[in-house]
Amino acid sequence: MSGPRRTMVVLRAFWQINWLEELQYRGNFIASLLGTVFWLAMAMLTVALYFRHTPQLGGWEYWDVVVLLGIFNALAGVVETVLRPGIGHLPTDVRSGALDLVLVRPVDAQFYVSFRRLDVWRLADVVLGLALAAYAFVQTGRVISTWELLAFAVTFAVAIAVVYAIWVTLMSLAFWFVAVENMSALFDAVFEAARYPVSAYPGALRFLFVYLIPIAWTTTIPASALTGRLNPALAMWAVAVGIAALGASRLLWRVALKRYTSAGG
Amino acid sequence: MRSAFLIDLQYRASIAIWLVWGITEPIISLGIWWSIAAGGAVDGYTREAFARYFFGVALVNQATLSWDAWNIDRWIRGGEMNYRLTRPIAPIHEAVADNIAYKAPTAAIILAAWFVAAIFWPAVRIPFEPGRWTLAIIAIVLAAAIRFLNGYASGLLAFWTTRATALVELQFGLSLFLSGRIAPLSLLPPRVAHFAEYLWFPYVVSFPVEILTGAVTTRSQYARGFAWQIVWLVIWLLLYMLVWSRGRRHYGAVGG
Repeated sequence: MSGPRRTMVVLRAFWQINWLEELQYRGNFIASLLGTVFWLAMAMLTVALYFRHTPQLGGWEYWDVVVLLGIFNALAGVVETVLRPGIGHLPTDVRSGALDLVLVRPVDAQFYVSFRRLDVWRLADVVLGLALAAYAFVQTGRVISTWELLAFAVTFAVAIAVVYAIWVTLMSLAFWFVAVENMSALFDAVFEAARYPVSAYPGALRFLFVYLIPIAWTTTIPASALTGRLNPALAMWAVAVGIAALGASRLLWRVALKRYTSAGG
Repeated sequence: MRSAFLIDLQYRASIAIWLVWGITEPIISLGIWWSIAAGGAVDGYTREAFARYFFGVALVNQATLSWDAWNIDRWIRGGEMNYRLTRPIAPIHEAVADNIAYKAPTAAIILAAWFVAAIFWPAVRIPFEPGRWTLAIIAIVLAAAIRFLNGYASGLLAFWTTRATALVELQFGLSLFLSGRIAPLSLLPPRVAHFAEYLWFPYVVSFPVEILTGAVTTRSQYARGFAWQIVWLVIWLLLYMLVWSRGRRHYGAVGG
């Protein structure tokens, strides 16, 4: 078997085990669903509060912002389903030396570490988020063209790629800062800012979110595609940003892995 | 020497990350209100007033934050509570020490950052009034005590249920609005703001912040705020004692 195919076979086996394990805990599903609905309600109330005092946020109307909020929640669902239980566990593995067991496997380590676990119940967050985005889209009264739908699909994929690249980057730092357990809190903190269109922030913050910590590309751009704010040039840029982010994070991962000398080193 | 320094640096990095996590929420809120107030004051809040308010929120929130419920939940479920129970003093003493050891330096960092910001950015300067600042410190200490007991007592419900932290998250979510973390209370719908006055939420963030920014002025506003703080402090203290004594017995019954 060739490398990538072997990796897929291994992963599928892991996901099946995950799935069966998780099915035993249906109470968790209800709890996580209630939690998601509660936080979505809080987020929508926050937006409603802003709109009590303004007719638009950075040029976005109320339902446009809710479309963005749905996309935000879907992306957060991807994080909770795959990234946090998978690559989010890396710092612990580095500290304990458990990463040895990963490195000796005949699969690509980054790929394996990233996608080894699925918190299947959290997939509901993705579904709920996309459903909210769809509902809000209908409320805007717009009609979507095939091109816009395609642009949304592409930019949403870019968003996932950028979020993934940010996680790989942060977690790779664990090889240098072994004692830092809460690297993922850094992501949580900064990603919060992606709840609102990037145009709603003052200049300095906007610069930060577009160029330095590229979260503007994660929610604002896909939501722009759905609300008629995306031009082809920007879509091309988004794709370029996605590819660049993936490439850069892969490079950092390689460099970081060279430093790894197991727990005793 | 070098390695000791590096290890130290790593733990500091860890604390720095929690600090960043704590201040992004007020920064985001400030960013949004800043844009909204571009066209003029929002219900009396100018851009500068928002800036002062959210600097205050960052400071007070850091000084009063409570995370103990998550620790307790982990201890009870993982069995670490057992050896804590064998000690001659209740585990809450350890938690109080932890809280002071963490909050004093991190709040000092925010205060220092505020001071530096005020040098370059006149908008966030607040008038130096020793009396007002002293009252603000007292209000912050009371607020920290209320939030601590509230979180601790809620966390102890883990003696009975595996979802005690969900209750804490619920309160955390409500406090976004009712404590004034997202917006000054006067910008909430009046009925919501009025309802909040009877709960502890406004007195753990909003009240100390508004002393600092100067929104609390009259003697009766001070009296009301401090009176409610004391009422809720006593209520949460009693609830803590109740949950602690009942829970400990319940825990023994399960394990025994």
